[in-house]
Amino acid sequence: MITAGIDAGAATTKALLFRDREIIGYRIGITAFDFPTAARNMFDELLASCDMRREEVGNVYATGYGRNSISFADKSISEITAHTKGVSFLFPEVQGIIDVGGQDSKVIVVEDGRVADFLMNDKCAAGTGKFLEYTAKALEVPINDLGGLALSSNHPADITSMCTVFAESEVISLRARGITKEDIAAGLIASIATRVGVMAKRMGLKEHVAFVGGVAKNGGMKAALEKELGTILYVPSEPQITGALGAAIAAQGNR
Amino acid sequence: MSSSLPGLDIFKNSYEFRIAQLKEERENGIKVVGTLCLYVPDEIIFAAGADRIVLCGGRADTIPVAEQSLPRNICPLIKSSFGAVVDGCCGGNLACAHVPLVDVVVAEATCDGKKKMYEILPDYLPTYVLDLPQKPGSPEALNYFLSELRKFGKFMEGLTGNVVSDDALKREIRSANETKRLLHRLFGLRRRDPPPIRGSEVLRVMQKQFFLSPDQFRQGVGQLCNEMEHVTPDARTGPRIMISGCPMAAGNTKVPDIIEQKGGVIVVEESCTGTRSFWDLVDEDKDPWTALAERYLEIPCACMTPNDQRVARIVDLAKQYDVHGVVYYTLQFCHAYNIERLRVQRALKKEKIPLLAIESDYGDSDTEQIGIRVDAFLEMIA
Repeated sequence: MITAGIDAGAATTKALLFRDREIIGYRIGITAFDFPTAARNMFDELLASCDMRREEVGNVYATGYGRNSISFADKSISEITAHTKGVSFLFPEVQGIIDVGGQDSKVIVVEDGRVADFLMNDKCAAGTGKFLEYTAKALEVPINDLGGLALSSNHPADITSMCTVFAESEVISLRARGITKEDIAAGLIASIATRVGVMAKRMGLKEHVAFVGGVAKNGGMKAALEKELGTILYVPSEPQITGALGAAIAAQGNR
Repeated sequence: MSSSLPGLDIFKNSYEFRIAQLKEERENGIKVVGTLCLYVPDEIIFAAGADRIVLCGGRADTIPVAEQSLPRNICPLIKSSFGAVVDGCCGGNLACAHVPLVDVVVAEATCDGKKKMYEILPDYLPTYVLDLPQKPGSPEALNYFLSELRKFGKFMEGLTGNVVSDDALKREIRSANETKRLLHRLFGLRRRDPPPIRGSEVLRVMQKQFFLSPDQFRQGVGQLCNEMEHVTPDARTGPRIMISGCPMAAGNTKVPDIIEQKGGVIVVEESCTGTRSFWDLVDEDKDPWTALAERYLEIPCACMTPNDQRVARIVDLAKQYDVHGVVYYTLQFCHAYNIERLRVQRALKKEKIPLLAIESDYGDSDTEQIGIRVDAFLEMIA
């Protein structure tokens, strides 16, 4: 059976088609204001790119922040469950997942492919993709360059503000003091890695840990987290689609 | 699930009646005491011939008034209660109609936020503070609390001009025990699977426990229990959940509402608006003052240290009510309950009972964030 997973995230919407034990195709796009429209567009684009019609697809499961507003979905499941299913499919040996997304970050303890416990960050942008987005802006650097810059730093700046708004002004004052872009970038990344690392340690994650979500594409961030946790992280080739993948797998039924 | 419980209407429709009753009592010279905590014994207030009404705030709309005077980063219950008193005393239209009917607030030295707020309260309403030992369980603590209760008794005698006799106190102890036994019956019925009543419905009843007169409250609970005996609830759809943590004062039903909307079935609440108010009875055979002191020091509040009795109680309730998971609820900035969570979590983990921690205030801004956590938790324990 062919199934679909839609991950209606706060920043990006992901759609994925799945058959038996293989990914047929996927699509990632900006959510913008309207969850249902973004989901519909992404799904239609995906069907077109895979040369398929809606009728050929069985169940459609939604997940993500906008999961309950997707009218064409048959069911919705939480991101926690979705990521766990998706990541466990890609890496069956995984015992923990760190997901840093646009609006929140999560740490999941996985036992035999199931959620055993989880923790989400507070209602605050600290430790999320938003933190990097805002502070990269203050640094006048495209967000995609932030990780590369950080990796070439020798003396990471000390960023003490967890609050995104305060960190932005801290970046400006560091710039005024003549600290290099590389060192500030590395400081920002270390700050978020510490924050997320505390969550992971609190949940007892040690090894076989996967790192997913948009922020996992940031090589600097991966390196900083690995240093923080003392383990090599599993990062899927496309770390943004594990939620949609898990939803599509859940849509296959109990197997 | 429980549309066939007309007894709930008694509680829903009780507000105007109670206000009229309090007004009439005051016209007849009866004093009305405002309380904000389970540690203040109702029995002593009633034995002195006074009436009492709860002042704990569960509404968001009086918080901005409070924030003109208090720091923003303290617990919403303290801010909401304080805002209601300030507004009610200054002729505002936010506070409930019962706030201006209070002659005196009988407060208690529990958490830091409340203690310091009570120092400002006398600018608006006469305030009496009952002191509490922080380390219960020793004979010294008991003796100290006993002396505090006797002092409070003298205060009530001065306020009302009535003597708090041992006989009157024993009568009120029996009356309050009767309420507690009725609540045991109500909560006992919730052990059924599926339970005959929703958790959010029970919460709305419990929020009226110290608002209504004991007679009114018992009449309502009694009728409700009779009805619950005979309803046939729909099949249970989701996991059985216990809520444990901070009180949910009238107006605050956010988290239970979300849990039920997501399909969770709340079967018991370990909180001031749950088991803590009635679980332990007062010994009717002892000297009434000693019996009261012993019973009230048994209340497992996180302001006490160490609070082993609460940890044990939670594990015990989780088993008695056959729950699949515990939602640990903390009011934002309530350090005592927030820190105590770790001990509770560790004790539950030994019993393989999962826990979801939720910290929230009275605003709606985090409804979605709580929703996703509850969804994930219910999926996890299903």
